[in-house]
Order: sequence, then C-alpha cells, then structure tokens
Amino acid sequence: MNALIRLELARALRNRKSLFFSVAYPSILFLLIAGTADSTTKVDGTGLTLPTYMMVSMASFGALTAVLMGNSKRIAKERENGWVRQLRLTPLPGRGYVLAKTASAAVVSLPAIVMVFLVAAIGKDVRLDAWQWLALTGAIWAGSLVFAALGVAIGYLATGDAVRPITMITYFGLSILGGLWMPTTTFPGWLQDIAEWVPTRAYAALGQAIEQSQAPHTGDIALLAVFFVLFSGGAAWLYRKDTLKA
Amino acid sequence: MTTTAVKTAAAVAGFDRVTKTYGDVRAVDGLTLALHPGETVALLGPNGAGKSTTLDLLLGLKRPDSGTVSVLGTEPRDAIVAGRVGAMLQSGGLMEEVTVAELVRLACSLHPRPYPVSEVLARAGVTQIADRKVDKLSGGQAQRVRFALATAGDSDLIVLDEPTTGMDVTARQAFWATMREQADRGRTVLFATHYLEEADAIADRVLVLHRGRLLADGTAAEIKARAGARRISFDLDGPVDQAALRALPSLTRCDVSGQTVRMQSADADATVHALYGLGLYPRNLEVAGLGLEQAFVAITAAEEARPS
Repeated sequence: MNALIRLELARALRNRKSLFFSVAYPSILFLLIAGTADSTTKVDGTGLTLPTYMMVSMASFGALTAVLMGNSKRIAKERENGWVRQLRLTPLPGRGYVLAKTASAAVVSLPAIVMVFLVAAIGKDVRLDAWQWLALTGAIWAGSLVFAALGVAIGYLATGDAVRPITMITYFGLSILGGLWMPTTTFPGWLQDIAEWVPTRAYAALGQAIEQSQAPHTGDIALLAVFFVLFSGGAAWLYRKDTLKA
Repeated sequence: MTTTAVKTAAAVAGFDRVTKTYGDVRAVDGLTLALHPGETVALLGPNGAGKSTTLDLLLGLKRPDSGTVSVLGTEPRDAIVAGRVGAMLQSGGLMEEVTVAELVRLACSLHPRPYPVSEVLARAGVTQIADRKVDKLSGGQAQRVRFALATAGDSDLIVLDEPTTGMDVTARQAFWATMREQADRGRTVLFATHYLEEADAIADRVLVLHRGRLLADGTAAEIKARAGARRISFDLDGPVDQAALRALPSLTRCDVSGQTVRMQSADADATVHALYGLGLYPRNLEVAGLGLEQAFVAITAAEEARPS
C-alpha cells in the first residue's frame, strides 16, 4: 500500500494546478481578507485580531480544500474509468485505495496549513507561543480527516458530471457557513444558529481556542466526532455498495 | 474416468453449477467447468453470451446467486490477494497522470512475488513508452500496459478479456508470442476473444458460451468437427434436383444457387459417396474443413434455432 501512497503523492505534487489551488490559494485568500485589517481590531466575541482569527480560518480552509477536493473528484473519476476495478485485481487490500488517497491528500494539506501560518506570521505579524503553533498544526491537520472521509463518501456517491457540482456546493457551503471566509459573528442571528451545527465551524473553533490559550471546547470536538462517524460510515457503506456492483 | 477425477482435484479454477441473474436475464446459467494447470483456454461466445460475467465471477468481482466459484482451492478474492491470479479486463482502467514505468512499478510492488520492473516492461513491449504518461497512450498501447499489470509477478492463472482489442496485426502476433511463453512456463491462461482465428491458433481448449451456458468444450478441432465438420461445394450441369440433394446422408446444411451447390456435412465421405450414387457428375468438387469461425456460427445458430 505504501507504493500506492508514494505514487499518489508523486502525482499530487506534480499536478501544479491543483497544488497551487490547495497550497497557495488559502494564503492568497488570507492576504486578501486580512491584508487591509489592522492588527488591533478584535473580532467580536473572540478577543482575537482579525489576522489571527483569519489565519486559523484559512489554514482550515486550505486543509479542507486539499482533502475534500483531492478525494471526491479523483475517486469518482477513477471509479468511472475502471482504475478502481483494475486495482481490485491486484493483491492490494480493498480499503488500501481509500486509505492511500486520504493519506496522500493529508500530506498535501500540511504545506497548505504551514504556508498560511508563515504568511500570517511574516506578513501580518501574528505572534503565538511555540506550543500554540504546534498544537494548531496538529489540530487542523487531524481535524481535516473528518472532511477527507466526506470526500471519499462523495467520490463513491456521484460520478461523471454530478460529482463536480456536488463537491463545489459542499465545499463552498461548508466554507461559508462554517465562517472560514468571514467570522460567523458577522452573520444574521438565524444563520449563526445554523452555523453552530456546521462541522467546519467546529473545526475552525479548535484552532481559535488554541490561539486563545484554551483547550478546544468539548462541544466542538463532539460535533466533529459525530460528523466523522457519519461521513466515514457513509463512505464505508457507499464503498461496499460500489464493490458489490462493480 | 479416473483421469478426469484427478484433473478436477488439481483444478486451477472451478465453476460448480454457477448461476448469476440480472433482473430477468440469466447471464450465467448453471455453469460447471474446470480449468487445469498449464492449459490455454479460449472463451468464445456471441455478445451477451455471459463471457464478461463469467470472468467477473472468476475474479471475485461479482458473487454468484447460486453455486460456487473456486480459484486454486480458495475463494477468488483470496487467490487474488495471494497474488496467484493476474488479470486484465476490458473494463479495467489505468491510473492517469503517471508514467507507464511508474504504474508498472506499482503493480510490481503490490505483487507478493514480483518480477523485475524492466523485465515486465520488456515482456509487454512497453519499454519504449515507459516514460510516457498513461493518459497519452493509444488504445493498443494501453492494452499492453494492462497486460504488463496483469503479468507483474509470478501468478498461476492469467485471465485476459479481449486482450488484443485495439492492437494492430504485428502487435497482436507479438502479444500472443509472449502469451505462449507464459503458457509454456506452466501458467494457466484463460482468454475471452471474438477473434476466432486467435482461439484457433493459440488455445488448447475452446469453450463456447451461449446464453450463459456452456455449449461446447473441447479442442478447436473437436469443435469444428462437432459443427458439421466439412464443407462440400460443386457445380452441376443441367437441372438440379434439390430434393434428392437434400436427402443426402449426414447433411447439416445445403444451399443451392443456380448450378452451384454448397453443403456442410458431418460425414463428408459418406455424403460424397452418396452423391456419386445419385448418378450425378459434380464439377469443381471441393471438400474442406470448416474454419472455427464457421463452426462457431453453426453451433450457436443451431442453439438459437432451438426454442429456449
């Protein structure tokens, strides 16, 4: 299986367009949103400056991009062109394919996270303790697994023309509703109530808690855990269905 | 009888009363057969005969509704995980955006008993295109890459679904030369094809599937014999007495057009003998064996004509 992970990775690193999209794009977006903000204005109710707040949002967004997009479109396409079927004629264990996809997406998501941190630290003078940087990286990286599972589920759910719009709607829906692009505190009340239950909101909240030198809230972790079970359960069910059909 | 029993015990793959239906269609209908070590077996059948389903069942991609499929004494999936089966399917795709060499290297690393990558590339005839991206290959080149993936390691059974589709004549000949080499090393090879001349030239054994059932199982020569082995043609002078001609012994087919008569006979010697017995003087008499293609058409057409 390591051989498949290596090859998936080599391919991901070679594809400049998608690499740009998942690694550089979140940093660029960070500069666009936080670029003009001064470093003293606080985001309502968080005690964090806008650049600090947006740094976590964009790092989460970058990781989300890498794992969700990486998994869903590729799996759908390779299911369609028969590569998944061909792999089932090799000694690779059945789940190896999904694991290799997720592992390689996770490797690409790491530089996306680190890149946002670097841009924020250098460009917008975001300062945190060493443990905070490490904890942030770890939390955002680990949390991205929830969305990797969602990507797998979408990849097994849809094919062909359908997969792109489904991925895009899910991706932008999660990004916007979860407050990755603008703080949820700027939303109208009813939307804030909805956002409360969106997994990306809880995902970004992990990082924001660390920035405030707090432990992540139990509620957020629980929400993410529930979504992880839902997404990976759905992915496993769809995978099995696909295996019987193919 | 004893030999059959011994052979069955050592079967490389076995179908035992296997049935697979899709809705109302019986794709495979009570199929029982065994493949023996070292055999090169061709699987023939018209479109929709159940060839693909049979291969899918053999490779564990589908499960039978009833009956059992075993490969090398285990479940098909277990045999594949153990690397004992190499297979290329028509429906099998390739990973894109990687080179041919990278893909073959992957197949070698996944195999428990791999051959050296360079050897696999050379055998499949893809050394020259090893650095090319998989998405940039022609149909025939992609077929050869699939073949490389199927032969990346030491497997006992090689399953090929329409392996030479998209290849030109030279590539096809080269392909079968390598395939024969595999068979000579004691591998069992099962291939589905619609090029009957390939089955005729390469296979030790030919299976004819029709509506999910095994219609014929034997050497190419036996199948030709079974179909009404010989073709007889001649010209007659004067009026042609069709009724008398059709009453000739052992005929399986008789077409008269003008003065020319074409027949197929299960026993050409007896037919020709009786033909002279009619007091006729046939000109340009030709007696020839049926090609496998004609035999195949004859067998399946006879089956089609039967009410099912």
